[in-house]
Amino acid sequence: MNGWNGKILEIDLATLTHKSYPLDMEMAKQFIGGRGLGARLLWDLVGPEVEPLSPENVLIFTNGPLTGTGYQTSNRFSVTTKSPLTGTVLDANSGGYWGMQFKKTGYDVLIVRGKAQKPVWIEVKNGEVAFHDASALWGMRVFAVTEKLGQDNNKRNVLCIGPAGENLSRIAAIMNDRERAAARGGPGAVMGSKNLKAIVVEGSTRPEVMDKERYKFLMYETKKLLAASPLTSQALPEFGTVVLMNIMNNIGALATRNHQQTQFEGAEAISGEELTEKYLVKNQACWACPIGCTRISKTEKVEGEGPEFESTWAFGAQCGIDDLPAIIEVNALCNDLGLDTISAGSTIACAMELSEKGYLDSDLRFGRADQLALAVEAMAYRRDIGAELADGSLRLATKYGHPELSMTSKGLEFPAYDPRGLQGQGLLYATSNRGGCHMRGNMIGLEVLGLPKLIDRFQVQGKSSFVILNQNSNAAIDSLVLCKFTNMGVADEYFARVLSAVTGVEYATGDMIKTGERVWNLERLYNNREGFTAQNDTLPPRLLTEAPTDGPSKGWVSKLEPMLKEYYRTRGWDENGVPTPKKLAELGLAELAEASYR
Amino acid sequence: MVRPYGRWIMPNLRKVAGTKEVAITGASVGAVVTELVKRYPALAANLLLDGQIRPHVIITVNGHSTDDVDAPVTEFDVVSIFPPLAGG
Repeated sequence: MNGWNGKILEIDLATLTHKSYPLDMEMAKQFIGGRGLGARLLWDLVGPEVEPLSPENVLIFTNGPLTGTGYQTSNRFSVTTKSPLTGTVLDANSGGYWGMQFKKTGYDVLIVRGKAQKPVWIEVKNGEVAFHDASALWGMRVFAVTEKLGQDNNKRNVLCIGPAGENLSRIAAIMNDRERAAARGGPGAVMGSKNLKAIVVEGSTRPEVMDKERYKFLMYETKKLLAASPLTSQALPEFGTVVLMNIMNNIGALATRNHQQTQFEGAEAISGEELTEKYLVKNQACWACPIGCTRISKTEKVEGEGPEFESTWAFGAQCGIDDLPAIIEVNALCNDLGLDTISAGSTIACAMELSEKGYLDSDLRFGRADQLALAVEAMAYRRDIGAELADGSLRLATKYGHPELSMTSKGLEFPAYDPRGLQGQGLLYATSNRGGCHMRGNMIGLEVLGLPKLIDRFQVQGKSSFVILNQNSNAAIDSLVLCKFTNMGVADEYFARVLSAVTGVEYATGDMIKTGERVWNLERLYNNREGFTAQNDTLPPRLLTEAPTDGPSKGWVSKLEPMLKEYYRTRGWDENGVPTPKKLAELGLAELAEASYR
Repeated sequence: MVRPYGRWIMPNLRKVAGTKEVAITGASVGAVVTELVKRYPALAANLLLDGQIRPHVIITVNGHSTDDVDAPVTEFDVVSIFPPLAGG
């Protein structure tokens, strides 16, 4: 077997039993691994009758055929489940070391089903599985659990949940290698609902590579490509992701105070330049990553990874806060408690607006940095107002009669980019299969950074083609499971060559994008089967009707409707946003066609 | 008015300019950059490649991105220059 290990490990927590069986290689060739393979398995395993936090939901951990081979950024893993936040198909992926180590245990996929009677943690060591009592770990925070279970970056890796996951916060993350997070959509709550505290992996199986000479050359070429790109050799390692703060503010697309404004007067104070100047300790890289975008930052109270741009924005501009040390500290707190920083920050921002408008009785107010840590702690432990914040902004705002103040699509909180000044980004959010998310096909490259070419960010007509291309490309990269930053120096189709060299299965030019399209359509079908329709492809009324009154995006709202029509048509879907049998047949998904019309 | 952003590896654009904002005269984006480099020659390596604006250097005029060096600029406009950026 080359690339893939060819094995699935399935664990039933109700009986504390496990079994191993062969990976369907036809399925693997079609969906590669990671997000694609996870979605295909979820299709069979979790139907519309399953509640996300019930024992019948599953967690599907996947790596990819390149994972652990040493190819640049081949360290990641993906976790797929039905989201407790959105009810959609969900995959979240994460870097660090755990994914690489998971591959070395000899499995491509780990499926976790059922619910343990009492807290457990699982140890997978060279293919052997052991169940351990986690009663003493239950209640412990992420950093302590990670250390307790013997995290050793290149040898033994810990994935766990914190108190937020235990307390079934629907915005809880699964954490790995201490501070890496598979965060979006609440996978940590699914893990908590299963009484599963941690999964520790240790292995020595090295993935086989089919054509070693070709692979070595491609790795060499990739190294050169990444070194030649000023983005991967200079921008990311030197500035980190937070450097986007000033440019987004400059163009008037930095969502501010729960998207009430699109520019933040305190942006400079929370910028990447400020972080680098005053709080950066050093850079850090995931396994086999030559880019090294991770920042280790330090304040008087904490030292740790991050914060990334989205986290800095969520607790910064979105909450009207320009206190960078407070943001660094609350970011570390979220990592320790196991919370999605984007959803946590944006939910607090929503609560701030609800409170300021008198709809919610709380002390939360925009600009109050002193309230951030208190709110996050309360959220993770479901204390006081935290009990309501813990389930995300849509449930919170709905409870208080103002769902329109939740800045979400399909219930998932948006990242930093305000789509009124970025028409393509708005279409991306509205159509994203896991809800409002930039990681499904970020349009910032095209609409702001000129990567690979600058397009008009206010343009509506023709925008859907760019969004679709980005979505398909991202689905393919997530199925490989590589870091999207690699794609800034290396083209999608180059990955097809690497995949061919590793697996011995020839992937031709165009196959990556075609695979991404297949994955996207399958996810769409899954959501359709769950009852999602074209009506769910939308944005909050604020973004559709309330134009910014100043700044470079002044006068603009998201012109979603015409873009959506064009999007469905370009995707080969019907006017209700359902993939047609013809499209599904073209993608090799014909057997699922019937389900799309149930 | 030109606002140079970013902390360049060497030299630091803002550090070289000694300010966050520089008043520059020029009728187009290209003319403004040329004048900026003339005033701060150390910036040339960061902004120019073979006499052209380097790929991935981002320029906005009043918050609107442009890759057109001939885009007109008036005395009331603010030109912002960013080094190559990535992230998300």
